[in-house]
Amino acid sequence: MAGLFEFLFKYRPSLFEEGRLALAAPGWMQVAALVAGGALVFAAFTYRRMRPGSGSRPERYRWLPPTLRSLAIGVLVVCLLQPALVLSTVVPQESFVGVLIDDSGSMAMPDEEAAEDGTRAGAVREALSGQPGSLLELLTGRFQVRQLAFGRGAERIESVDQLRFARPDSRIGEALLAASDELAGLPLAGLVVFSDGADSEPAELGDALLALKAAGTPVHAVGVGRPRLARDIEVSRVVAPRRVLEGSTVEVEVTLSQTGFGGRSVNLEVEDDGRIVNVEPVTFPRRSSAVTARVMFAATDEGAREFRFRVAAQPGEQLTRNNERTALVEVRKRREKIFFFEGEPRDESKFLRRAVQFDENLHVVSMTRQAANKFYGINFDENTKRFDGFPTRREDLFEYQGVILGSMEASFFTHDQMRMLVDFAAQRGGGVLLLGARRSFSEGGFLGTPIAELSPLVLYEIEPASGDGRPPLIHDLQLELTPQGRAHPAMLLRDDRSESNELWPTLPRLSAYQRATELKAGATALLLAETPMHREPLVALAYHRIGRGRAIAFTPHDSWHWQMSAEIALEDQTHERLWRQMLRWLVSYVPDRIEVETDRDRFEPGSTVALRATVRDAAFREVNRAQVTAAIELPSGEEVEVPLDWSVERDGEFVGSFVAAERGHYRVEVDARSEGELLGVAASRFAVDNLNEELFGAARRDSVLQRIARETGGRRYGLDEMDSLVEDLSVSREGTTVREARDLWDMPILFLLLVVFLGGEWAVRRRLGMS
Amino acid sequence: MRYDPAVPIRRTPLLVVAAALVAAAGSGLLTRAPAPGPNPQVGVPDDRRDPRTRYRRSLPPQAMRMFERYLPRPVHPDEVLREFYFTRLIYGGQRYMGGASWSVDFPKADRQFMIGLKRLLDQLDAYDYDNALLATDPKLYRYPFLYSVEVGYMMLSPDEREHLRRYLLAGGFWVIDDFWGSWQWANLENELSALLPEYPIVEIPLDHPIFHCFYDVEEILQVPNVGQGRYGGPTWEQDGFTPHVRGIFDDHGRLMVVINWNTDLGDAWEWAEDEWYPVRFSHYAYQMGVNFVVYAMSH
Repeated sequence: MAGLFEFLFKYRPSLFEEGRLALAAPGWMQVAALVAGGALVFAAFTYRRMRPGSGSRPERYRWLPPTLRSLAIGVLVVCLLQPALVLSTVVPQESFVGVLIDDSGSMAMPDEEAAEDGTRAGAVREALSGQPGSLLELLTGRFQVRQLAFGRGAERIESVDQLRFARPDSRIGEALLAASDELAGLPLAGLVVFSDGADSEPAELGDALLALKAAGTPVHAVGVGRPRLARDIEVSRVVAPRRVLEGSTVEVEVTLSQTGFGGRSVNLEVEDDGRIVNVEPVTFPRRSSAVTARVMFAATDEGAREFRFRVAAQPGEQLTRNNERTALVEVRKRREKIFFFEGEPRDESKFLRRAVQFDENLHVVSMTRQAANKFYGINFDENTKRFDGFPTRREDLFEYQGVILGSMEASFFTHDQMRMLVDFAAQRGGGVLLLGARRSFSEGGFLGTPIAELSPLVLYEIEPASGDGRPPLIHDLQLELTPQGRAHPAMLLRDDRSESNELWPTLPRLSAYQRATELKAGATALLLAETPMHREPLVALAYHRIGRGRAIAFTPHDSWHWQMSAEIALEDQTHERLWRQMLRWLVSYVPDRIEVETDRDRFEPGSTVALRATVRDAAFREVNRAQVTAAIELPSGEEVEVPLDWSVERDGEFVGSFVAAERGHYRVEVDARSEGELLGVAASRFAVDNLNEELFGAARRDSVLQRIARETGGRRYGLDEMDSLVEDLSVSREGTTVREARDLWDMPILFLLLVVFLGGEWAVRRRLGMS
Repeated sequence: MRYDPAVPIRRTPLLVVAAALVAAAGSGLLTRAPAPGPNPQVGVPDDRRDPRTRYRRSLPPQAMRMFERYLPRPVHPDEVLREFYFTRLIYGGQRYMGGASWSVDFPKADRQFMIGLKRLLDQLDAYDYDNALLATDPKLYRYPFLYSVEVGYMMLSPDEREHLRRYLLAGGFWVIDDFWGSWQWANLENELSALLPEYPIVEIPLDHPIFHCFYDVEEILQVPNVGQGRYGGPTWEQDGFTPHVRGIFDDHGRLMVVINWNTDLGDAWEWAEDEWYPVRFSHYAYQMGVNFVVYAMSH
């Protein structure tokens, strides 16, 4: 299209954009043009009186010949007025051009057909070799050229022989600013960037472009590489929890992208310190480039663990270094406290506690009502405040990360206690597990109480008690996983997921007092229960989020049969595993009073790491008046202290930053004090390493190149458009320039129009019999 | 000798049975029997369902005692589903006083204990009656609390041992009671060493939670049988002069078996209402029984 335009209008559109139109004819010529126009009008008037010839044509066409002739004369008049394109062109050798060359590893990709060796780097070398016809040769004919190689930062080079194309990352924004500084004070016609568009620090690019735009420096982007790799697999994204309890099942979402491998299956390997902990087969869809896989594996070793997610290199794959990503997960060895409040002695609660009794990361404190106002507390220790019954103070309840509520009727609780339990989930961010029993949910009279808000199940009116006042028991519940349940780590009863999914329906049948079939909006069911006693399947396990926390409902009241039943082998760990996973899920991601986080888990060396701490008191109210200090342990073992200040934007939020230069694992420990009293400490970790971000999404990123050009007033070019690039630079308004008028009267479009108008008039006359 | 379900649990002279039936008829028992139906007791409060409560005043004590041994449960355990069942183990073994040794004091002791238990643990959802099961019955695994007496006569078959072992290791809790002297101990020790050879029998110290989980029991009492208790005789039998509470713990320190040796808690439950039986023994027996249940349902 641009070629056609250039053919018709003599010059490329970009020149028309740069310049302005003017008429070079003297003044009298313009008066003559007006006279000619008047003569034309008169001629048109005389045509009005002319009658159609013999063989008559419709009267309505008689205006056509004069109109066409007038237009033809008009074209001639335009030519006589000598239209011209006035451009600012640079004075040869008096302006400078900065050429920035991406020297990173991604430039070694073999996907550039324009190059002899087929690589992006080869194409750049050829363009800047200085050979006759090369870009460099064209540029040096008109400009003073400064070449800069960039990766992280930019350095001046004298020739392309100094390029290695092996730098670990490419920061285009940083390089543009460095080049701008390097050439500051010189008459700069513009910058030319040779890049594949891969940018390791996209956040910096916006600021750099703004600065260049303000300085009026156009940046022209030359894209190298293909916009789409022919055959590649890439681990595009890994979403992993930052912290997990030791021994927990970790669920990680891994997104794989591909080109050229649609319909193929690959194995996604998870590696923990050289040990393969899981292999998940993934099949790429035929019609989509990306697929997301959920991988589950056990985090068995304490400390900061780097889990690698890798797909083995496939035959014919163009880039294999993007087949792997790493996630830093802090595996914590600490005991999460759970308060189990039970309204009557039940085997379910005994076996539940027994299942998690030796889990070193769970500390279940239970309080069971044995008789009216007679409670039996178990597992209180020196770190756990002792109380009788259900806590009445927020501080006592909020000390726990999770609460399990068993068979306790609503009338036992005060309204404030129920409200406090809702706040435990919503404000403190704790997990609440509601167990099915004869005195829980609707059967416990919770309809219309604050606890009903907690339930992910819709509570219902119960029929008036009949007989002995007991709610009817629903037998023969066969549990089946929902699609969400099949993907949930807490439901994984065997290491192999398909084996686990097949196991659920074969487990001994249970019973329940609850007949809930309806979920609240936003709640998710993980287990449904089929029973011959009920037409619709009942919801056996469901959860939903409540504010910052979550509430889970498990309605069967006798899962302990999975431990005791004659059908279950003695060494079978199904029951233990279920409850260990359920309770770990209950307390996972529950916030502490003091927390510290970085915005990412991995950074490039030299990055600024933003630290954000949240400070709350024992009742989980945010504290703004606190002295918060972060002690950062560097990989070398050295310690650096960074004071954190209240952010003002949010209550209890304290922020600070730190530049991480060393590679390795960093540990941040935050110490929060209020009026000299220690509120608490919190710790977090992050890693600093070469992330090779540019290898991900390694095909040419036209969007980045387009943005660079658009926001600075430059243009984007392909490697075959070097002539245009030089010409556009020559007509730049920047640098040392002179004005130049280029004739437009001889544009082919004018000649074509003349031919069309005159030829058209002749044809019409013939048609109408006027000639 | 193996237990044969066809053999009556205790052979009682026909004359006594006849006398009991006549006495019952004379007091209007037969005319006041509940109407037949699939489950005629549903909806009737537990205390009124208990035939002993209903007919206590109608029968002379001796007749009542005989009568209760044969009174069927008005509600079968399978018909209801409760949180707790006082389950008695039917085991194989020698005859004892003409009957099977597992059934001594059955079912009155069981039922009477349940009355007290439900009163003391008023939040416990317990089945009101006895629930005796064979060790080989698969249903046994539905009842994680088990009670046995007169284990000096117990002779378990390999099949019974296998089931009991599995039951205990899976989380079952077994209370053994009412056996005396060294030769009965030797028999139990022999059976338990075959059942759980890797776990030793140890003395349970008084500071163990089983003595404090509901009542604080500070002293192990020797509870005599009803005969010696009523008439103020010696509390011991045979050469069992000192009472012991021993136990077997699993690998994780969890108590699986509680052995009450040289003591008879069952008689103290069974005859708690007898004005001649010393109340301090009944009191102690109920405290121990309640603690056993609380412990079994919480540890």
